[in-house]
Amino acid sequence: MTRLLEATLLVGAAAIAAFGVTLVNLATGTGVDAQVGLTFFVFLLAFGAVHVALRTFAPRSVPYLLPPAALLAALSFVEIYRISPFRAGLQRWWLLIAAAGAVLVLAVLHRTGTVLLRRYRFTLFGVTLLLLAAPLIPSDAPGPIRGLEANGSRLWVVADMGFIELHFQPGEVAKLAFVAFLAAYLADRISLTGTRRRLGRWSIPEPRQIFPLVAVWALSSLVLVSQRDLGAATLLFAVVVAMLYAATAERVFLWAGGVLAGGGAVSAYVLFAHVQRRVEAWLDPFADFEGTGYQIAQGVFALGSGSLAGAGPGLGRPDLIPNAITDFIFAAVGEELGFAGTVAVIASYAVVVAVGFGIALRARDRYRKLLAAGLTFAFGFQTFLILAGVLRILPLTGISLPFMSYGGSSLVGNFALVALLARISHEETA
Amino acid sequence: MNGPIRRLALGVLVGLGLVLGSATWFQVLGSDRYRSDPRNARPAISRSVKERGVIVTADGTVLAESVPDETNPRSFARRYPGGEAFAPVVGYTSLLVGDAGLEAAYDDELRSRRDLTISDLIAVLLGRDLRPLSLQLTLDPDLQQTAYEALAGRRGAVVALDPNTGAILALVSSPSFDPETLLGADAVDRRRTLLDDPAQPLLDRATRRLYPPASTFKVVVAAAAFDSGVAGPETEYPDPEAFALPGSAATIRNFTGRTCAEGTTVTVQTAFVRSCNTTFAALAIDVGATQIARTAEAAGFDRDLRFPWQVARSTFPFDVVRDDPAALAQSGIGERDVRATPLTMAMVAAAVANGGETMAPFLVRQVFDADGLEVETTQPTTLGRAMSPATAAVLSGLMELVVTEGTGRRAAVPGLRVAGKTGTAESPDGPPHAWFIGFAPVERPSVAVAVLVESGGDVGESATGGTVAAPIARVLFERSLSARS
Repeated sequence: MTRLLEATLLVGAAAIAAFGVTLVNLATGTGVDAQVGLTFFVFLLAFGAVHVALRTFAPRSVPYLLPPAALLAALSFVEIYRISPFRAGLQRWWLLIAAAGAVLVLAVLHRTGTVLLRRYRFTLFGVTLLLLAAPLIPSDAPGPIRGLEANGSRLWVVADMGFIELHFQPGEVAKLAFVAFLAAYLADRISLTGTRRRLGRWSIPEPRQIFPLVAVWALSSLVLVSQRDLGAATLLFAVVVAMLYAATAERVFLWAGGVLAGGGAVSAYVLFAHVQRRVEAWLDPFADFEGTGYQIAQGVFALGSGSLAGAGPGLGRPDLIPNAITDFIFAAVGEELGFAGTVAVIASYAVVVAVGFGIALRARDRYRKLLAAGLTFAFGFQTFLILAGVLRILPLTGISLPFMSYGGSSLVGNFALVALLARISHEETA
Repeated sequence: MNGPIRRLALGVLVGLGLVLGSATWFQVLGSDRYRSDPRNARPAISRSVKERGVIVTADGTVLAESVPDETNPRSFARRYPGGEAFAPVVGYTSLLVGDAGLEAAYDDELRSRRDLTISDLIAVLLGRDLRPLSLQLTLDPDLQQTAYEALAGRRGAVVALDPNTGAILALVSSPSFDPETLLGADAVDRRRTLLDDPAQPLLDRATRRLYPPASTFKVVVAAAAFDSGVAGPETEYPDPEAFALPGSAATIRNFTGRTCAEGTTVTVQTAFVRSCNTTFAALAIDVGATQIARTAEAAGFDRDLRFPWQVARSTFPFDVVRDDPAALAQSGIGERDVRATPLTMAMVAAAVANGGETMAPFLVRQVFDADGLEVETTQPTTLGRAMSPATAAVLSGLMELVVTEGTGRRAAVPGLRVAGKTGTAESPDGPPHAWFIGFAPVERPSVAVAVLVESGGDVGESATGGTVAAPIARVLFERSLSARS
């Protein structure tokens, strides 16, 4: 019965996307054209495929993950289409590819379940490192795969397929492999009843057990800081701390994480000019309106202009915001769909996060709990990180907004993430 | 391990709560503040692509219109088919460099009030028309174009009025600019270029720049003299080579450097026709500051005119000349501290033409709605009585003599009775400014003009009102004669 509800909501999300495209067309005077039907069809195909895969490979999984994801993809698609119809066309392809990826994940895990990932944990760790290091391949390297630097950060890989160049951010997928590795590692090595060592008034797990973990974190952060992608570095660090805390229930990890994060933030501020600019733009975007503060100021103007009901799809000017379809897609939605739209977005994220942690709470064993909690935390923290940047709660870190930002890597990664969560929920003891 | 997971969940949800709170601030509580921030270009952009009302002349010639975009019919571009000749009047409304002229003054009327919001829907249901209003001007487009071309790029201004109503038939400032160049993406650079141009093409010389009116001010002094009875056209004045300024070693001389006429005395009429400074210096002292100031004020000096934009205030410096006969004498020939816009001097000519009554000048005949129905029509109003009808009749005769046998002969049009007065204003920084004010036809005036050419136009130091400004007036009179026949 609830699967039927899921299917109904997915059709609703596809209809919202198609209706939004219609409104944009009417506002810009192009009229109802093939884009409307194409959008509806692609949304039905992408989310329908994942829905059918869930019915087939994970029938007992919760039905509440896919509909909010589909709503987020639909609302953002309308804005991407409004700002760049060309990019929207590419985004439709990426939706199909990402859905195919999710179907593949569910199919591969069909027989063995998530245990398969636990078995290959060190392979996953190797994959994580390879993916993270891939953008460091020289841009002029021979061969089909090269690194690429864009907007001051080096986090892209270009795959030259001869007839087409594919741009990919491997970090978006590395995130999943890393969480899967951490879950397996922590489930094996650290137990709540493990040996303890006293440190003042706290008892902490044996340092030997944690040392490899710290090394992992240091290594990952090194790769990411060398790529100057501080958003992803912050995310990975937060994931490590959160999963350590989940595995041990030791608050000392939260405190230590806080201190390390603070120290990291200060040294990043001291070391990197672009971090200093971002902090200045965060504190007062209007001090250098034409320069460093321009993007955040435009985002704030977009949100303020949107007000309660929004300008209406196609009737605002979200194209004034630099990177409106990637980092600032939330502000674009806020401008044209208003507070109503942003509340829908935030509520959808809250639903995914709540359902994800719910899966973690009900999961069968430590490994699955850690995997579900880690994936959900990574998803939720990434969402918070970029939204907090757009909404001036934190300095802006360039990181994609799950299911909303334009870009294939992010969609592929987050579709797979949702597929994994669904699979874990399927594995609950009935 | 469910405890820590619950706390992590709580942490992330609190984070999303913070996000929701911040979104509430930016989009609900503080929304107005960010929407109306002057650096937020959105309101201006949305205005700039909205339809605006048309600006047309009395005969329906379009001076400003909104043309729908080819790809997006909801988006409009502004066009100014009148070009340079009409630019100082029509102005422009530009996203990047602001607005000017009637576009700025009548922005409330010309702008669409449609925002495609819920409140618009309610307004439409209540039967309110949200479409922009349009303007019909008093301008005669042919006369405006003729005057602009007659100035031929020289720095100057032309104002033509209907003396009976005050309706402005032409309001020209030269050099001008193409307003459409200020609409594009390079508007800021274009405006910078115009601002840096020493010829000041953005300056409306017709209403916003003050010049010494020179001998054209003798019309005001003569009117004051005749009205007060201090002198009549036949009153005899001594005719020296130079008029010694009281309490000063300085003198006032005539333009020719010689006496005004051949005898020892000269009549006011002859002095007026030949524009003799010596006679009018003496006459001004006889008439007195109070009487001249009264006449000047009734003709448009020293008062704030109600005009679509802020116009410069023409002045007769009563406080300076009241106790200073020398300054009064200099002011009597339109020099020293007397300053006037071409608009005010056109009003002086129009007052004489209209039997002494000054009409308030107006530019917008009617505001009408999108259905072409009248919203508001300007009624001609009287500004004051500058002189009695008798004085106006006498002065009209003297001014006709100026054109038939005096300094203004080059304004004469065969078959048309033209009245006028020339002026040549000393300029501290260059060649003199050339003036001509006048009206036609004398028996039943239908057009009053003021022509000003700055700094000698293209003839330099030898320029006079009679040689440089009068021929431009003649072109205008010819054009209005051919239009009548």
